[in-house]
Amino acid sequence: MTVAEHIETGPETARAAKPLSAVRLLSWALTAVIVTLCVVPFLLVFVISFGRKIEGAAWVWDFTLANYQRFFVGALWPDDVTFLYLQQLGFSFWYAVIASLLAVLTALPFTLLLSRLSRRAQAAWLVFILSSLSLSEVFIVMGWDILLSNNSGLPALFKSTGLTQWLKDTGWFQVLRDWGLASPRNVKFKTSQFATILTMSYLVWPYAVILLYPALSRLDRSQSEAARTMGAGGWCVARTVILPAIRLPLFGTTLLLFVFLLGTYVAVTVFAAPAQHSTAVAIYSNIRGANLNAPFGAAQAVILLMSAGVCLALGHRINTWAEAR
Amino acid sequence: MIKLNRRTLLKTGAASLAASSVLGTPLIAQSRSLKIGSYGGYFENSFKEFVYPAFTEATGITVESVTQPNSTDWLVTMQQATAAGSVPADLSLYARDTLIKASRIGGLLKPLNLKAIPAASNLDPYFVFEAPEGPLGVGAMSWFTAMVINPGEVDAPASWAEFWDSTIYESSLGLSRNYNSQFLDIVAATFFDGEATFATDEGILAIIEKAAEIKPNVALWWSAESQMEQSMKNGDVIGGQYYLDVANLMALDGFPIKPIFPKEGNPQDYGSWCLSSLSDKADEAAEFINFSSDPATQAIMSRKIGTAPLVDQSKTDLTDEEFAFVSGTPSIKPAYEAYLDKETFIKESWDKMLAGA
Repeated sequence: MTVAEHIETGPETARAAKPLSAVRLLSWALTAVIVTLCVVPFLLVFVISFGRKIEGAAWVWDFTLANYQRFFVGALWPDDVTFLYLQQLGFSFWYAVIASLLAVLTALPFTLLLSRLSRRAQAAWLVFILSSLSLSEVFIVMGWDILLSNNSGLPALFKSTGLTQWLKDTGWFQVLRDWGLASPRNVKFKTSQFATILTMSYLVWPYAVILLYPALSRLDRSQSEAARTMGAGGWCVARTVILPAIRLPLFGTTLLLFVFLLGTYVAVTVFAAPAQHSTAVAIYSNIRGANLNAPFGAAQAVILLMSAGVCLALGHRINTWAEAR
Repeated sequence: MIKLNRRTLLKTGAASLAASSVLGTPLIAQSRSLKIGSYGGYFENSFKEFVYPAFTEATGITVESVTQPNSTDWLVTMQQATAAGSVPADLSLYARDTLIKASRIGGLLKPLNLKAIPAASNLDPYFVFEAPEGPLGVGAMSWFTAMVINPGEVDAPASWAEFWDSTIYESSLGLSRNYNSQFLDIVAATFFDGEATFATDEGILAIIEKAAEIKPNVALWWSAESQMEQSMKNGDVIGGQYYLDVANLMALDGFPIKPIFPKEGNPQDYGSWCLSSLSDKADEAAEFINFSSDPATQAIMSRKIGTAPLVDQSKTDLTDEEFAFVSGTPSIKPAYEAYLDKETFIKESWDKMLAGA
């Protein structure tokens, strides 16, 4: 009620009367901004997910659970059952889990070594890593696309160094063909899960370093040294001293990157074969003009979001459980 | 005092405004204008450079070019704009399936007055789309999705069926990933009875099953045109389906790509000029469509944009060589109605096939 009065009298008088209420006004304004920019679009997606598609045209507002049912058993149920959309959700999780683990596991030793450098060197590295964040997903995917291309990338290197010929002579080439990593002429790395996961972990690697850095730079080195003097080996120190000390940031970083990667679109659409596409790609193919099925796209988005929420909640639960022990 | 001044000023101002609007009417009528949408990039630029100036010269109507991303996404934009009460373009360029979709949604397009478009008689009646409320679209130009190969790697196939041969094409082809981007029409024309096979669900499933057999030979299922362009340039794929006009342009630039008309032919699609239901420029639009249907304009588009003319070659001054560059026979007509009537069924069956689920 007081807030309403302040709005009526205007911010100037409010500030003159009571300095605190200006702050409160600001917080209300911020809340309004957040509501319009975040909550309203989300509610819209949620409401649209109950809409109904009209064959050969667009969609209309409605209240039907058919879109959610389709996600689990397909549109032709009960005549036919497909787990296509669950499979896509599975791939979303698979890519996000593997890529975030890969990023954190490789960033960990790097950041550990980084935190032991001189301050100048540390600053230089961090600036370099931060600046690499300015590259968008599209640029990174384009870069890897060129690096893995037949005439200009890794396959060309394989061919010119004679590695392709060697693989053919030793019979390994056939194995690569069976794995889908070669055509009859040369090795090929796209489209493949290898390229998809590689690009995705490359995408979040700078985040992993930046998120792990504060924790690793605060590590008390005297603890490791004490363990060393008591005769513990390098691996033993890492396992029993360093890892337990940074367990929380390690876990948090992985979880954050995982959620971030769940929605990856460009890398998957370019590097993964359609048999291994994720929910994000399916959402776009449904809402775009060629299909105009926004309700089903919205239903998939809601399910993806809920799955991410469940993962975060589980992560939190595991964490508190581990803390309590 | 000041108040009085202001009031007199307002009065005289209103009077002069009214006078000028009366006097200005013929002036406005002389500078007529029209907003026309076309697909952005090379396509739109060619229109701005070659087609619109010729139209303005012929009729005095100035054209404001509007960029469309493509046909289908533009329909979403226009649908929302129509609901909001103000549209960005008078005329839009829609592919036939989008045009049918727009007519089914209803309220988006205004019927055209064919009496004001006498040149439309040059076109095959198939290219004038008649809906119950009247003609909604008149053909603008046509384009082919052609078979392409890398001539440095393989010999030209005589039939689409050769793409199924894994001894030559294992992991080597680039095909379009969308269910309605005409690969199914190619399969139907090559192995079945063409459009007629789309009439039943069993027919469609048989076509999709046949399409599944080509999967081991496909290295790239492209969704954006540029993906296929890059892959052909980089040698990641040595054949597949691609737009005839872009393939020809790439070949002219020296890239290893050659479009081919195999014995079954290539799918032919076309774009139509459609008038927005909110547009008040029906007369100007009719004049433009009339201009566009003229064989001379059709020839300009073929030469400058690389699209196929919708009028008979004999009506234009295109040489056989020029015509062969933009067109070919036979042409496969896409099963538009089936794609729309069984949209969800075909999309899900196709996606299932691709995913192996």
